[in-house]
Amino acid sequence: MRNNPLSSIAIHSVLILYSLLALFPLVLIAINSFKSKKGIFRDPMALPLGDLYSSKGYQSVLANGDFPLYFGNSLIVTLISLVFILLLGAMAAHALTEFRFKGNGLLGLYLILGIMVPIRLGTVALLELFVKLGLTNTLTALVLVYTAQGLPIAIFIFTEFLKSVSGEIKDSARIDGLSEYRIFFEVVLPLIRPVIATVAVFSMIPIWNDLWFPLILSPGEGTRTVTLGIQQFIGQYTVNWSAVLAALSVAIMPVLVMYVIFSKQLIRGITAGAVKG
Amino acid sequence: MTRSGWRGYIVFFLAPATLIYTIFAIYPIAESLRLSLFAERDSAALFVGFDNYQKLFTEPYWAEQFWNAFKNNVWLFVLHMLIQNPIALALAAILSIPNLRGAATYRTIFFLPTLLSVVVIGFIWQLILSPLWGITPAFMNFIGAGSFFAPWLGLESSALTTVTLISIWQYVGIPMMLFYAALLNIPEETLEAARIDGLNGWWIFWKVKLPLILPTLGLVGILTYIGNFTASFDLIYTLQGGLAGPNGSTDVMGTFMFRTFFGFQAQLGDVNMGATVASSLFFIILLGVSVYLFGVQRRLQRYQA
Amino acid sequence: MATLDINNVVKQFGKVEVIHDTSLSVKDGELMVFVGPSGCGKSTMLRMIAGLEELTAGEIKIGGKKVDRLPPAKRGIAMVFQSYALYPHKDVRGNLGFALRHAGMPKAEVTQRVDAAADILGLGPLMERRPSELSGGQRQRVAIGRAIVREPEVFLFDEPLSNLDAALRVHMRVEILKLHQRLKSTMIYVTHDQVEAMTLADRIVVFRDGCVEQIGTPLELYRNPANKFVAGFIGSPAMNFIDADVINGNAIHASEAIASVPSSSTKDANYTKVSIGIRPEDIQIQANGKWSGTVEVYEHLGGEAYLHVLLVDKQTVVARADADSHYRIGETVRFNVVQSKLHMFAEDGKAIPKT
Repeated sequence: MRNNPLSSIAIHSVLILYSLLALFPLVLIAINSFKSKKGIFRDPMALPLGDLYSSKGYQSVLANGDFPLYFGNSLIVTLISLVFILLLGAMAAHALTEFRFKGNGLLGLYLILGIMVPIRLGTVALLELFVKLGLTNTLTALVLVYTAQGLPIAIFIFTEFLKSVSGEIKDSARIDGLSEYRIFFEVVLPLIRPVIATVAVFSMIPIWNDLWFPLILSPGEGTRTVTLGIQQFIGQYTVNWSAVLAALSVAIMPVLVMYVIFSKQLIRGITAGAVKG
Repeated sequence: MTRSGWRGYIVFFLAPATLIYTIFAIYPIAESLRLSLFAERDSAALFVGFDNYQKLFTEPYWAEQFWNAFKNNVWLFVLHMLIQNPIALALAAILSIPNLRGAATYRTIFFLPTLLSVVVIGFIWQLILSPLWGITPAFMNFIGAGSFFAPWLGLESSALTTVTLISIWQYVGIPMMLFYAALLNIPEETLEAARIDGLNGWWIFWKVKLPLILPTLGLVGILTYIGNFTASFDLIYTLQGGLAGPNGSTDVMGTFMFRTFFGFQAQLGDVNMGATVASSLFFIILLGVSVYLFGVQRRLQRYQA
Repeated sequence: MATLDINNVVKQFGKVEVIHDTSLSVKDGELMVFVGPSGCGKSTMLRMIAGLEELTAGEIKIGGKKVDRLPPAKRGIAMVFQSYALYPHKDVRGNLGFALRHAGMPKAEVTQRVDAAADILGLGPLMERRPSELSGGQRQRVAIGRAIVREPEVFLFDEPLSNLDAALRVHMRVEILKLHQRLKSTMIYVTHDQVEAMTLADRIVVFRDGCVEQIGTPLELYRNPANKFVAGFIGSPAMNFIDADVINGNAIHASEAIASVPSSSTKDANYTKVSIGIRPEDIQIQANGKWSGTVEVYEHLGGEAYLHVLLVDKQTVVARADADSHYRIGETVRFNVVQSKLHMFAEDGKAIPKT
C-alpha cells in the first residue's frame, strides 16, 4: 500500500485500539494485585503508588505455601512431556520420510489422526487405564497423556519439514559411513532445529495451561499443576481480592517471560511456513 | 546397512511414538466407543448395544441436556466463525502490509492472550465484568452507555454469548497467525503483477490474496469446529462451574460429558453414559472432519505458485 | 582408482521397473557421464553404485571386487550431491574431515589430507566458516573437497552444477575437468545437460526410460548416433528431422530426392518412410539450393546465427547461417544439405547404417 499518511493513521489507530483491548485486562489485574482491597475498589485504574501500594495479596499467596510445589509440578510435567514429544516425534517423522517400508503411508496417517480426534474423548477409558496401572495422582500419568496428545502435531510438522529439505545430506552421511542411528542424532536432529522451537511452543502451551487432565487424573494435593492450583486457590479465596489478583499475576508471569524470550523465534517459525494447512 | 535384511532401526525410530500414542490416545478413544455399548448391571458389564445412545437421545432427562449442550456448542461455533475469524483475518491482513512500522510488536501483543491459561483468563474477565468491582459499569458510564450494563455472566440470556466473546478475545491470535503465515507465503511477484494489472490494495486483498489463502480459511474453520466441541470445557468450567449455569445456559458437550462421567451434586457418575456422550461427540467431530476433508478441502485446492 | 563394472542390473520400485537389464563398464581413470532426460534412470543407477539404493538383480563390481552388498562407506566411493549436502552445523574443516574422523583415522593424517584438499580447491581462507556463510560455488567446492579427502576409487557426481547460475556453472565445469586431469581417478558424472556431457566426458552413456540408448565418446555420439533419440538429444541446437518417403531406394522430400537409402539395409527391411536427420551446420543456404522455405525466426548470437525455416510442408528446420548476412522475416531462402553428413532413421527410430 502507498504511504498515504491518512490511511497510515487509520491503520495504526486500529492496531493500537486492538492492542489496548488485548492488554488492558492483563495490565488491570497486574496493577491491582499490588493494592489493598480498599485500593482495588476505590481506585482501580490508578497505578499502585504511594499509599495505594500494598503487597498483602502476594503475602497471602506465598503464605499458602503450595505454589512453589505447583510450579515445580507444572515444570516437570511440561518439560518431560516436551522432551518426549520432540524426540519421539522427530524419530517417527524421520522414519516415515526416510525409509520405504510396507504400510508407511498408513502408519503416517494413523499417527496424525490425533490432530483431528481430541484425546479428551478417551478420558473415561484413560482414567480406568491409569487406575489399573496404579498411576492416578502421579505426574507420570500426565506426562504419558500429554506425550500421546502432542505427538500427532509434532509428527505432522516434522514430517512436512523433512519432506521439504533435501534428503541428500542423509545419503552423504551414509557414504561417510554413519549408522542409521547416528545419522538421526548427528545429522537429522541438527537439521530440524528451525522447527523445533515452533513445535515446542505449540506443544507447551496446551500442556502448561491444561485444566482437564490435572483435574481428572491427578487432582491430589501433591501433584497439582499451577493451572489446577490457581483454580482451586481462587475458588477458596473469592473474598480476598488482593490474594486472587496476586495469584493471577503469579500465574501469568512465567508464560509472559517465556513468551518475551521466545517470541521472535516462535513467530519466525510460524511464518517460515512450518505450519501449513 | 544391508538394505534387504531386517531393518531394526525402523522399529527403533517408530516404536516408541507409536506405542505411547496407541496406548494413551487411540486405545482410550476406542475403549470409550466400546464402553458406550455396555451398561453396569449389578456391578457387571452388560452388553446393551445401542441402548445407551437411545437413552441419550430419547429419555427426556438425557436428551434435554444433550440437545441443550449441542445447541450451545453450535452457537459457540457460529459466533467464533462470524466474529473471531473475520477479526483474525482483518488483523492478519493489516499486519502483512509490507514495511508496517511496529508490526512485530503488534503481533506479539495480539498473540499474548492466547498463551495464557484459560483459568487465568476466565477469572480475569469474571472480575472485570463483575458488578461488585464496578470496572465495567464505570467504563460504560464513561462512554455514556451506563444504562446498558448488566451482570452478563449471570444472566441466562447473555451468559453463553459473553463466555464466547471472552474465548474469542483469548484465541483470536491463533487464526490470526495462520492467516498471517499464509498471507506472507504469497509470492511478492504475484502481488506486483496485480498492481501492474491496475488493482489497488483493497482489490488485491479481495481478488488475489483471499482466493490464495482459501485453504487456510478451510483449515481455520475445521480447527475452530474441533476446538469448540472439546476445548470450550476449560473456560466454562472455570467461569460457570460444572453445572454450566445459570440454569445450564452455558452447558456444552465438554461440561456435559464431565458431569455425566463424574457425577455432580445429586447426580451420580456413570462411566458408560459418559462414554456414550464422548462417543457421540466423537461422531460429531468425525462428521465435521469428513465434511472438511471430502467436501471443503478438495474444492479449496492449493494453488501452486 | 579402479574400473567399474555393472552387470545385468535391474531396479524395481514396487512393481515398476525403472532400470531394465543394464550392463556397462567404466575404465580405470575414465570420466564417464550419464546423461538423459529426467526420470530416465541415470540417478537411480548412480545411487545403486553408491549403495544408496538396493539392486533388484545383477551385480556391481569396483576394481573387480563385487560391492553391491556392501554399505556405501565400504565401497571405496565418494559422492558429490546437487544440493551439496554439507552438514550445516559443522564448519568447512569439520565437513571436510568428518568421514575420515568417523572412520577412525589418526588426527594428524586427517589434518594433512584436509589441508591438501583445501589447497587443491582454494578453500584455505574459508576453513572456519559454516556452510550458511558460503556462496553456492564455495559450497560446491567444499562438497567436492569432502569427496577428495576420502581418496576414493570412484568419484560419483549427481548433477553437481544444477543449482549454480549459468556463468558459475561453466566455471565449475572447467574446474571439475582440471580436477579429473590432476587426480586421474575414475569418475561418474550424472547430468541432464548435454552440453555438460559433451564438454566433460571421456565417454557418455545416454539413458532413456531405464535403458541405455548408446555408449560412446562425445564425438561418436555426435557423428554416429545409434538412434533418433540420441541424435536429437546430443547437439545444440538440436538436429533437424525431415520426414521423407522412400521411392525406388531414394528418400523423397518435397518431390526432390534428398538422399539415397543404402541398398545394404533395404535388403532386410522394406522402408517406405524414413526420417532424415540434418544438423543445423550441415544445411547450406545457397541461392541455387534445391529446397526452399520462408524465414520464420532469425536468431543472431553474435558469432553465429540461426535461421528457422518453414518448409512447404509446414515442417521447420533450423539452419546455421553466416553471421554477416542479413535475413528478413518472411523472406524465401533456398538451401542444400551436405549429403555425407546426413543421418537416416527408420520408423522405429533406429539409425540406418550409411552404407
